[in-house]
Amino acid sequence: MRRVKQLNGSQQIGAAILACLVGFAFLEWLLNGTDPAVQNLGNLFAAPSLAEPLGTDQFGRSMLARMGAALRLSLLLSLVCVLTSATIGVALGVLAGWREGWIDRIVSFVLNMVLALPGLVLILLFAGLAPGSLLMLYLGISLVLWVEYFRVVRAITRASVASSPMQASRMLGFGSFYCFKRHVWPALLTPVLTLAAFGAAASILALAALGFVAVGLRPPTAELGLMMVELFPYYSEAPWVLAQPVFAVFLLIIALNLLAGKTK
Amino acid sequence: MTALLQLENLSIVAGDSVLVEPISLTLAKGQRLTILGETGAGKSLLIQAIMGLLPPPLRRQGTVRIVGQDIDTLSRKDQQRLWGHHISMLPQEPWYSLDPLMRSQQQVAEVYECVQQERPDQANVKAQRDLVGVGLGEAGHRLPGQLSGGMAQRLAFCAATAGGAEIVLADEPTKGLDISRRDYIAALLRQKGEDGAVLTITHDVEVARQIGGTIMVMRNGRLVEQGNAESLLGAPSAGYTQELINAAPESWPSVRRHQPNVSRATVLEAQGLEKTRGGKTLFKELDLVINQGEIVGITGDSGCGKSSLGDILLGLLPADKGRVVRAPGVAPYKYLKLYQDPLAAFASAASLKQLFDDVIRLHGLDARKVPPLLEQLRLSPALLDRAVHEVSGGELQRLAIARALLLEPVFLFADEPVSRLDPITAREVALLLTQVATEHNCAVLLVSHDPYLVEKTCDRTLALGAPE
Repeated sequence: MRRVKQLNGSQQIGAAILACLVGFAFLEWLLNGTDPAVQNLGNLFAAPSLAEPLGTDQFGRSMLARMGAALRLSLLLSLVCVLTSATIGVALGVLAGWREGWIDRIVSFVLNMVLALPGLVLILLFAGLAPGSLLMLYLGISLVLWVEYFRVVRAITRASVASSPMQASRMLGFGSFYCFKRHVWPALLTPVLTLAAFGAAASILALAALGFVAVGLRPPTAELGLMMVELFPYYSEAPWVLAQPVFAVFLLIIALNLLAGKTK
Repeated sequence: MTALLQLENLSIVAGDSVLVEPISLTLAKGQRLTILGETGAGKSLLIQAIMGLLPPPLRRQGTVRIVGQDIDTLSRKDQQRLWGHHISMLPQEPWYSLDPLMRSQQQVAEVYECVQQERPDQANVKAQRDLVGVGLGEAGHRLPGQLSGGMAQRLAFCAATAGGAEIVLADEPTKGLDISRRDYIAALLRQKGEDGAVLTITHDVEVARQIGGTIMVMRNGRLVEQGNAESLLGAPSAGYTQELINAAPESWPSVRRHQPNVSRATVLEAQGLEKTRGGKTLFKELDLVINQGEIVGITGDSGCGKSSLGDILLGLLPADKGRVVRAPGVAPYKYLKLYQDPLAAFASAASLKQLFDDVIRLHGLDARKVPPLLEQLRLSPALLDRAVHEVSGGELQRLAIARALLLEPVFLFADEPVSRLDPITAREVALLLTQVATEHNCAVLLVSHDPYLVEKTCDRTLALGAPE
């Protein structure tokens, strides 16, 4: 609760939008038993009604169920990707920034190799290895995202380790764990949370982009990018259906970017 | 005699609270006025109010007349027209007012070109003449980053006065300067005051004395007393003025009490130390023995390697040659350091109580030792409940001393421990440090750019060579 109060105006708006999206995805799973893959060819592009609040798509599938499933997929994947990449990036960054020497050189070498390729190309490469595999997408996105954490964390750690408050703690006889807890971690927390919000946005966009160029997940999976490309041919017949996944991605990205904004 | 600068009942308010109480003064040609007082006395606000540069929540009341014109009747543009031509300001930190990417001479020549509308070649000649006048003739081609603090301040002085302004406002112009350079700036201001008017703000009694003219003593936004420099500093009537005068290290009581013939154990010994930085040898073949409970002072101008020597003795910095030997059988945490900026000694993310508890827990100390120690340093135990940035600099420095003394150290390296503090606080902290360290039988290596401070507080002094 204390953290929420520390957020500034735009961050609170971002958090509120994100909470609504998470709430929708979760409640839809809890309350609406409809299978997102069940077709009803007699009821194509039904307008929103009481039974189908978001209408139906080109195969008569419930858009409510599909949007819920797609949001759950995007949110969960971004959460897992952020957790993985943050853990790896922070751990390696602290290690490299603190110990320097050969650990720093090796990790920085790997980092430069990853950086040599544009992020999306690397993810495409992984996706191409095993088309339609969620695991490969997860690995690819995490591999691209950890780089940012590593660079920021390494720079902050180096500065903290060389700072005079930490020098003072060292002289007072404190060990490495204490110095990490008191000096390095407090300095890392805010930038890492900011990076996490940006990272989540990046992984959602990557998943949607891969779906959109049809190298990501395969139909009939409900995925935001895939839904966009499938519904695209019908944009004049049923623009409100196409608008739904577009609007959902827009809301997700803007919520996360607002959340990542400057702290007070 | 026409008044160049006239303030009538000038006061500065923020919302309902009055920061500077109504003040009236008149500065005519050939007059020098110095406002003396500690930080937080509202001195700098006064200068900002005269220039019309008060930050938004603050408001000015009363009248300011510059060369006879009431600045309230002038538009923003007309006000700015006075700048440079009639009034100019010498800022506190020269680095913030100089262009870091422009050569020294050009910075002055530009003023002649833009303010005085002179031709570039003429402007250059005049700039060169100005720089020679303040002893910077050789430094015209250097960038501000290649100048020392004193040189940068002289350059800023040239740039500020090149516009031909009769009125110069100087805000703590000698802050952070060594004594010789401080005197030079004071002499420049005094000279400027003879053919114009100078309003100086300082906390340094010696600077006020050297500039001469009239002195106004301010405290907490209120005028304490005013008068002629000589008579006021010679025989102050207000207790606060006396306190300020006493706070200058020259007037401190001498606390030498060490008998040199008493043999004491050695806590630290340095042999043949040498250190080179930036191609300059700071010191070489330096031998130093520090005995138990002894207070050793190191003096020298800034950049002469005083702090580096202390860091080498503590093992925080490698020496190029030589070695440092500690007394055998003494735990490493008994060799500690006090920082110039007390904030540098504390983790900002935790409360003071937590930081003290951490030390107590780590070394299994008795928590009951803390209150008497704080009392000895004249600190209230309630301070520990605050966060690091919620206590004043003087209190934080004393808390740093308290935390160090908890560990019963044998050696403390105090790196300019009071140079960031107000003079009255500085006096209190410096005298307490040496007194309490002696009571705890802890040796202190006191580094300071102020030879008087070291002379008054230390048992013996080591002077490091002058730079350049």
